[in-house]
Amino acid sequence: MTTTTPFSRRFLFGALLLLPLLTGIGKAHAGPDVASLVENGCDACHRLEASIPEEGRKGPDLFFSGNKFQKQWLLNWLQSPQPVRPSGYTSDPGFLEGKPTVAVPHPAADAPEAQALTEALMQMKVEGLETAPPEVAEPLSKGLRFKIKILFERDYGCIACHQTVNLVGEPRGGVSGPTLLNAGDRLQAEWVYNWLKTPARFEPKSRMPVFDLTEEERIQLTRYVMWHKTEKEEK
Amino acid sequence: MTGRIRNHKSLKAVLLALALVLGACGEDKQSAGRPRPPTENEPPVVATVPVEPVPQTPAPKAHPVTAKTKETYQWYCAQCHGVKGKGNGINAPHTAVPPRDHTKAAYLETRSDEQLFHVIKFGGLAGGRAPCMPRWGHTLDDDMIHSLVNYIRELCHCEAL
Ligand code: HEC
Ligand code: HEC
Repeated sequence: MTTTTPFSRRFLFGALLLLPLLTGIGKAHAGPDVASLVENGCDACHRLEASIPEEGRKGPDLFFSGNKFQKQWLLNWLQSPQPVRPSGYTSDPGFLEGKPTVAVPHPAADAPEAQALTEALMQMKVEGLETAPPEVAEPLSKGLRFKIKILFERDYGCIACHQTVNLVGEPRGGVSGPTLLNAGDRLQAEWVYNWLKTPARFEPKSRMPVFDLTEEERIQLTRYVMWHKTEKEEK
Repeated sequence: MTGRIRNHKSLKAVLLALALVLGACGEDKQSAGRPRPPTENEPPVVATVPVEPVPQTPAPKAHPVTAKTKETYQWYCAQCHGVKGKGNGINAPHTAVPPRDHTKAAYLETRSDEQLFHVIKFGGLAGGRAPCMPRWGHTLDDDMIHSLVNYIRELCHCEAL
């Protein structure tokens, strides 16, 4: 954490207070080493353990980071974080005005710190996720992609809240949900597949409606989300 | 030979694109940034979707508007319909069809409580309305949806004619 970021000192203080508590929890569960996260004050806004109460969260939960994120994305993002949620996290007081107030900009780490944080985050996993069928990782043909686009934009209206790519490759879509423009770099396909069925498992208080998708739709939407990469393999 | 296959493919792409432009929910080029205000008695946007029979629902006044109703509206609905229900939520500039203004009596008088219930539960597409209005039937229970209908009636200060 760069000491120049205005709130790093504040959160370091908070972190020091919480340190004995959290390391205690970490030991009791013999879980991943959250020390580097606590040292950096990440726990002031993020839940690092499912057992911590939801109230007062200022940022998305990180206790399943190892299931959710791609390692390379984390490593890059922690060094130069860009907004993922254009209107902020759902609990942000500025959310409904589309003007996030918390962690703007998000604290940045230098390269060695980012390395340590990424290692710690990638160890943080939850058990018992459904295994995704191998198709979710297969590249999407243009024809199938257009078909799924109709599912995404018309049948389920996902685009009303999520930025995605239109037919000529331009970003479009709503701003209340996380952008999906780089979802294929950021997320793991299996996590997306699980999120689409049981979002409450990862976010007990989401603003996204729960959908009762068929297995085929769930696979297709996972592939469509994962197709969104900064560098697309055009097929 | 390959030329023909190509053509065939691009024709398919054009048709798909057309289907999207006609029926999708994302902003289109013309309307981006300046949402068209909904007019009274506006015809269904997705005319090809048959309107399902409206289910019989119990007397709605049995579901009073509570603090929980208003909280639910703020949490889920306000992101599109706006904090005060005026149809100007943060997603509004990005939807092809603007979210309904829930304060507008002239339109909402033309819709029955059952119709509003149906659109909230099954989504815009199922009710002959735009797909940008999601289905909430797997997120909210029927009692909450009834009380949201009553809350919308409070916002518009209106009843079904
Ligand atoms: C002041 C509160 C705050 C602190 C401190 C903080 N974060 Fe965050 N963090 C947020 C918010 C708010 C977001 C959501 C930002 C967005 O989506 O654009 C976020 C997003 C993230 C994300 C992306 C999550 C996702 O779902 O896309 C990661 C990873 C992350 N933070 C890691 C960390 C780490 C590691 C630390 C400690 C070094 C930390 N954060 C410290 C508030 C905070
Ligand atoms: C993702 C954006 C979005 C969200 C979230 C949303 N709506 Fe809508 N809603 C719309 C749009 C767009 C329309 C306009 C559809 C049309 O006119 O074809 C609409 C229309 C409606 C209508 C009018 C239906 C009619 O008969 O014309 C009602 C009632 C309604 N919404 C209630 C709700 C409630 C209650 C919630 C929260 C539980 C909600 N909406 C959440 C986008 C949204």
